[in-house]
Amino acid sequence: MPSFTATVLTLASSLHDAGFIMRVAQSFLNLTSGIFLALAVAMPLALLAGLRNRFDTTMTPLIMLAGALPDIALLPILVLWIGPGNAAAISIAAFSAFFPIYFTIREGTQDISKDLFHVAAVFNTSRADTFRKLILPAISPQLFTGLRLAYDFVWEIVLAIEIFSGVTGIGLYISKAVEAGDVAEAFAAILAVGMMAILVDRLVFGRAERWIRRWID
Amino acid sequence: MDKTVDRLTHQMELKNVSKEYGQTEDPIPAIQDVSFNLHRGEFACIVGPSGCGKSTLLKMAAGLDKPTSGEILFCGEPVIGPHPKISMVFQSFALFPWRTVTGNVEYGLEVQGVPKAERLDSVEKYLEMVGLAGYAHLYPKQLSGGMKQRVGMARALAVDPEVILMDEAFSAIDEFTAETLREEVADIHAETEKTFVLVTHNLVEAVELADKIIVLSTRPARVKKILDVDLERPRDKTRSEFVDAHKSIFALLKEELETTIVRRRISRVPEFQRLTDIEAQS
Repeated sequence: MPSFTATVLTLASSLHDAGFIMRVAQSFLNLTSGIFLALAVAMPLALLAGLRNRFDTTMTPLIMLAGALPDIALLPILVLWIGPGNAAAISIAAFSAFFPIYFTIREGTQDISKDLFHVAAVFNTSRADTFRKLILPAISPQLFTGLRLAYDFVWEIVLAIEIFSGVTGIGLYISKAVEAGDVAEAFAAILAVGMMAILVDRLVFGRAERWIRRWID
Repeated sequence: MDKTVDRLTHQMELKNVSKEYGQTEDPIPAIQDVSFNLHRGEFACIVGPSGCGKSTLLKMAAGLDKPTSGEILFCGEPVIGPHPKISMVFQSFALFPWRTVTGNVEYGLEVQGVPKAERLDSVEKYLEMVGLAGYAHLYPKQLSGGMKQRVGMARALAVDPEVILMDEAFSAIDEFTAETLREEVADIHAETEKTFVLVTHNLVEAVELADKIIVLSTRPARVKKILDVDLERPRDKTRSEFVDAHKSIFALLKEELETTIVRRRISRVPEFQRLTDIEAQS
């Protein structure tokens, strides 16, 4: 077990290593691409489910069923279909991120007061403006919660698939370091991932949260 | 335009408006054959027992809902959807919580594409009118109920409508604040000469504000009576004319409610229940 100081020192020297930085960046890119892919698919579906009851009653049970599948167990099948590599990592990240994003946006949409839609209608708001000026700000608290949850969940699954399918990200770096007996290096990499997660949380979600706190009841 | 002629023409007309809910084979009537006219600049109050369909009627006037039969005309044209000259104030205030007071008031103009500077001029004017100058930068959560409804009023006024529909606008506000707000609405009505339609179950409120009171029956809502309130403004609630007007409308509503209660009681007695069942089958 390496000491904390040793881990930090290893991390400090790893940060000078372009290869290390590239691997962290690669993992982060896979994660972010997966989440954006999930958002692109989940958002329209969740809005439909939130606004149209009939769609919700048919679609949501199916999505719940899919969400109950253990994503870790899907990994080997996915790798078999897509083949190892970044595409597989992005796909599984998107799959995992889909569910928290879908359910939070759906709930946020269902919670929008009917009267607000009436206001939009009374002032003859166009469809595009109803989306931009009513739906989007109204669901923003839940949307950011969903994305935040996705970031938390999906890091782990991305690292897992990297180890499993040999993607040149930080997951594989960690597993190789452990195999080589360099535990300090593995810990340094884990610490880098943690710091990355905190950084994103502060920069992106912290800012969104401050804006939401200004107006939410 | 000649004002006397203007007052004689009907600005808003409801002609045999009915609304049914549910399937076409077995509809549940909510509103039945409601007809009345409004003059330009008139203050009308629609009163009736709660749940009688008053708000549905108002939503149809706003173009948010369609009558099953009959028609609603605005300046002679049928109302088939929201109209730029018809605005609305809501019981729940219905402010956008993520917009400041200014943002809420300018909303109607913003979606019409009015330039920012022009919008801000209107916002200032109407915030002044509703007594909220100096609160422009606050968010709704920082306001009291009465202040929120003032924002709702300013938002409705900002698009310079000809008709302002108010759905129980004072019901969710404490009575002291509501009273001041009513007085201000009466002032705004006198000042702007716009047409106001207020749905309420508060009879004192109706007598205080209305030129015309439309009394609706219990569900399905029909027009029970249309009364003209010809009292001097500003109205003094302690004067005998005021009290008399209030009493006569109260008597009307009480009569309406009592017939329904009797009908309901009868239907609870088993024998009568059977009778009504047989009646229904035949």
